Amino acid sequence: MFNTALIPILFTAVVVLLGLLIAMRPEFTAARGGKIFAFVALCILPVVSVWAGFNAQIERSTSTQFCLSCHVMDKFGQSLYVDDKSYIPAAHFQNNLVPRDHACFTCHTDYTMFGDYSAKWRGVHHVIVQYFGTIPKPEDIKLYTPYNNRECLHCHAGSRSYEEASPHHKTPDLLSRAASNQLSCMSSDCHEFVHDVGDLGSATFWKPTAGGN
Amino acid sequence: MPSVIYRNIRWSGRLIVAGLIVQMLSLLWTHPLAFVCFLLIGCPLVGAGILFFLYSLVTHESARSPTS
Repeated sequence: MFNTALIPILFTAVVVLLGLLIAMRPEFTAARGGKIFAFVALCILPVVSVWAGFNAQIERSTSTQFCLSCHVMDKFGQSLYVDDKSYIPAAHFQNNLVPRDHACFTCHTDYTMFGDYSAKWRGVHHVIVQYFGTIPKPEDIKLYTPYNNRECLHCHAGSRSYEEASPHHKTPDLLSRAASNQLSCMSSDCHEFVHDVGDLGSATFWKPTAGGN
Repeated sequence: MPSVIYRNIRWSGRLIVAGLIVQMLSLLWTHPLAFVCFLLIGCPLVGAGILFFLYSLVTHESARSPTS
């Protein structure tokens, strides 16, 4: 089947050829048709191409493969395979509660109007630290701000399993406090085991069968 | 005068082509560095090429027009 990810690449290749044609034969622009052609080839098509490329880059940067391509993220990738359902990322990943191809992004984007772009901007900051800063140990990596319940509730709010779970009724106002972000979902005695990459040495890991990823 | 505009068009074409080639290569590689190359090298080259092209059009027209 045709890979749709190739479309922006092929489109860019066509624009490159048109741009080369103008660059090698600028005399084309002497005629009226040539002027219009040059304007399309050197102004309109490159803008469209950059826009298509930007969207393709954003889409690609949401993949799990992309996030784990930095060595410092290896342990975070391993933590998705911990054989312990109390590890929230592992439970979500292994049970397909998040798409495995976009596992990191699904939980670490902000579900706001420009959340995807702010997540990618944080990613650019990560790259700057990777190449120009001091790379922290995986166990020392922390979120910039405390994890917002909004990201959990984007999927869980309103679901029966979330609303009726007995631990969520330990206190009458627990759900409302979680909704208003006064009580973190990752508080102690709640869903406190997240990636915990410092403890992976003693963990056992799930091995997906051939049908899994 | 035409040789100046042709030279400018040639240079803007080169800049745009160079930026688009960077963009194409970055799309072939799934890595954060590819994203940064696209953003910090490809986009500025294409932008510079387009702006230079428009600038050369404007200056050429104004140089040709006796009223401007």
